[in-house]
Formats: sequence, C-alpha cells, structure tokens
Amino acid sequence: MKHTIQIQSLVLAFIFGITMSISAQNRKADKDTRNWIYEIEPVGVGSQGTYLIKVWSYSKKPIVALEQAKKNAVHGIIFKGFLGVNGIPGQRPLTNNPNLEIEQAEFFKNFFDGGKYMKFVNISNDGAVAAEDRLKVGKEYKIGVVVSVNVAGLRKDLEDGGILKGLSSGF
Amino acid sequence: MKKLRVIVVTFIALIMSVPVFSQAKKPTIMVVPSDNWCVKNNFVTVYDNMGSTLKIPDYRKALQESTELLNVISKINEMMTERGFPLKNLESAMKSMQNQSAEDAMLSSKSGADINETPIDKLKKVAKADIIMQLTWSVNQNGPRRSITFNLQGLDAYTDKQIAGASGTGQPSFSAELPVLLEEAVLAHIDNFNAQLQKHFDDLFANGREVSLRITTFSSFSGDLESEFGGKELSEIIENWVSDNTVKNRFSLSDATETTMLFEQVRIPLYDANNRPVDTRGWARDLQKMLAERYRITAKLMTRGLGQAQLVIGEK
Repeated sequence: MKHTIQIQSLVLAFIFGITMSISAQNRKADKDTRNWIYEIEPVGVGSQGTYLIKVWSYSKKPIVALEQAKKNAVHGIIFKGFLGVNGIPGQRPLTNNPNLEIEQAEFFKNFFDGGKYMKFVNISNDGAVAAEDRLKVGKEYKIGVVVSVNVAGLRKDLEDGGILKGLSSGF
Repeated sequence: MKKLRVIVVTFIALIMSVPVFSQAKKPTIMVVPSDNWCVKNNFVTVYDNMGSTLKIPDYRKALQESTELLNVISKINEMMTERGFPLKNLESAMKSMQNQSAEDAMLSSKSGADINETPIDKLKKVAKADIIMQLTWSVNQNGPRRSITFNLQGLDAYTDKQIAGASGTGQPSFSAELPVLLEEAVLAHIDNFNAQLQKHFDDLFANGREVSLRITTFSSFSGDLESEFGGKELSEIIENWVSDNTVKNRFSLSDATETTMLFEQVRIPLYDANNRPVDTRGWARDLQKMLAERYRITAKLMTRGLGQAQLVIGEK
C-alpha cells in the first residue's frame, strides 16, 4: 500500500514537473513573440487573400516552437511584415501605426491569449518540419514551420473591430 | 405645459448642437495600361504631328484584343472591391462616354435646340479618374523559363505625383502559363500597393487634400495680376487668400507672372466650416466670390475632377 502511494506520488510529481516545464516554455515563447524574437520569410505567393510563409521560432522544446509558430505568424503579419526572397515580394505589416500594439494592448491580449488568432492560420504539411528547418542553436531549437495565413480574413476582422482602418474609411 | 415646452426646446437645441459628421469626397481610381505597355504591344494610334510621329495609346483596341490585360484589370478590380474600394472600370467608362456622345448628338428640345458643347467640353471628354493605377508588365524569357516583371503605379491625376507603387520580377517558371504568372504577380503586389495607398489617404485626412490652382486672365481683362486694388497687387491678394484658406498655410506658388499664377501642393481642408465635404471647385468658388464681392472682379471657374481648378480673371 505504502509502495503504491509512493509510486503514485512520483508519477504525479513527474506529470506536474512536465506540465510546469511546458508551461514555463510557453510563457517564454509568448515573451519571445512580444519581443519580436522570431523570423518570417515568404515561401511562395499564396492563394488569393493568403500569405504562405515560413516562421522561425525558438524554444527548448520543438513542440512549443511548432505551436508558437502560428501565433508568431499572425503577430508578424499584423505588426512586423517580412522581406522578400527570390522573386517573392515581401509584405508590409497590416498596420502602419508603430504603437498599435501598445495602444490596443487589451484587444491584442485577448486576441492572442484567447486563441482567436488561430482562426486565421493553418500549418502546412500537417506540421511536418523538414530536417533543414530544425536547427539546434545553443540550448534551444530553431524551428522553421510553413504556415498559411488568411490575411484577408484577419484584416477584415481587425477592421470590423475598429483596430485597423479600412481603405475606404472616412470617405 | 411650460415644463414640457422647456424640454422640447432643450431637445431641439441639443440635436442642433450635435455636429453633422459627413464623409470626405471619395477619390475615383481606375486601372489603365501604361503608354509603355501599349506601345510595346502595338496598341497605339500613330499621328504625324507636323513632321514628328506621335504614338497615342489606343485603350479600346487594347481592351478588345488583349485578354491578358482584361484579366489583370479584372483581378485588380476584384481585389480592390474586396477591400471595400470598388474601382472605376476603364472599359465601362469608355463605353458610357461613347453612349453619352451618341445620345447628346441625337438629343434636341421640343423647339429643336441642340445640347450646348464648347470646344473645352469636347477636349475634356476622356475617361478620367482622380487616381490612375498605371499598369505595366513584361515577359522575361530565359531559355525555357519565363518570369513576369510587374509594375503598378498609383498616380495622382492632379498633382502628377506617384502616391503608391509596387513592382518586381516574379519567380521564373518552366511550366506556368502567362495568365497564371500574371495572376500571381497581382496577388503578390496588390497588398503593398494598398498599404501605400492607405498611407496616402491617412496623409490626406491629416493634412488636407493636395490640389493645384491655376490663375490666368482673359485678354478682355482691363488690368493684370500686378494691378493694384486697395494698395495691394491682385497677385498678393490671391496669394494671401490661398494662404488663409489652406491647411497649416501649406501651398507653393511655383509660377507667377503678370498674367499667370500656378499654385501647387495646395492643401485644402476636407470639410468646410459647416462640416460639409469640400472639393477644389467648392474651395476655389470661395476665392471667385471673394474677388467679386470685395474687388468687383469677375472670374470664370473651371475644374478637373476633385483636385484641379482654374480661375480665369476678366469675365465669365
């Protein structure tokens, strides 16, 4: 009996440890997103209203980097934009207000932490990461994930929410 | 009863004190193939202008014969409509002008009178928009590989400034057909173009609409722009009025002689004192009225779209 309780306690402690570790990694990943620690490059010209991009995210756990890639993709398209490569042009961020993130902090906290951003992003190839897109940098992994972002839908949502101005607003 | 009257009066006063929020006059945008593209693809009409050959773009021929052009214009129109900014269609504008001319030629009143049309009216009968999206593309062939160099310029029809642009060469392809490459080019560049267009509109709302004003005189005018009225030269009176009626006094007087003044980069407010939207005609009409009321000077006002006005002093 005593032996069983010891095993159960150990298993619980193990699960708790893993959960805490992943949770800490998620918090770190969110902090990285806020601190712009991710890179975006275009992969191809997406279908109408979408961007096909590769997002490089950093984490000690590849699974966290994989999940964070979606958040980074949406974050990058709204605030950062990306440069072009090999005949695929870069794109400017959806906002041209450099302080939008701070001015609308409450909205974006709910948008990213509440998971609404997930509506506008899809991972390509079922999240399969090519060998050359999984790099070990120091103690961390740098993972490149190809995602497709529904920019038209994202822009419309932000315009409807009064966060971005539409092209014809004011006229 | 007295109390009720007070409430009603207060309510009416409240309603009247709320400003009426109107919307600024929306610029029209139209996609037009560039002269360069028309010449390269032989969609031109050639004139002999006193010995020198002039090539004028033939848009009708281009639209009738180039399916690629039609597809690109259609794709851009479609994507701009999705962004809530439908464009004026070049082909429809030309057809509508043609129909209007035919109707005007046939129209007469019951007494047999025709429609009045001055030579200036005839000259101005062209498909026009406030902003032109000028389109150019060329196909690059490198062995079996093809790519598209695409250029989209947003030109303000009145200030001649490029207010937006997107250009670049796409990825070469062995197999993709030309329409597919062109569609890709539009998809790749339209958002960057719109981002710059948005910046232009933001600037317009912050600093006023940029227009130009030309002052000229009729030969029948007894004086000129250096004639003095109340101790001031007419040109000075006009310049002071422009300065007082521009946003942050922003304008530049690029040409000034005794017969002509050219004001450029004139920033006019989007709304007047009554919060009604203003265009160049409405703005320049105030100058015309001021000259008539204070100095008994008659002037003829002519405009081009939302952004160009000409005031000819002397008579109407």
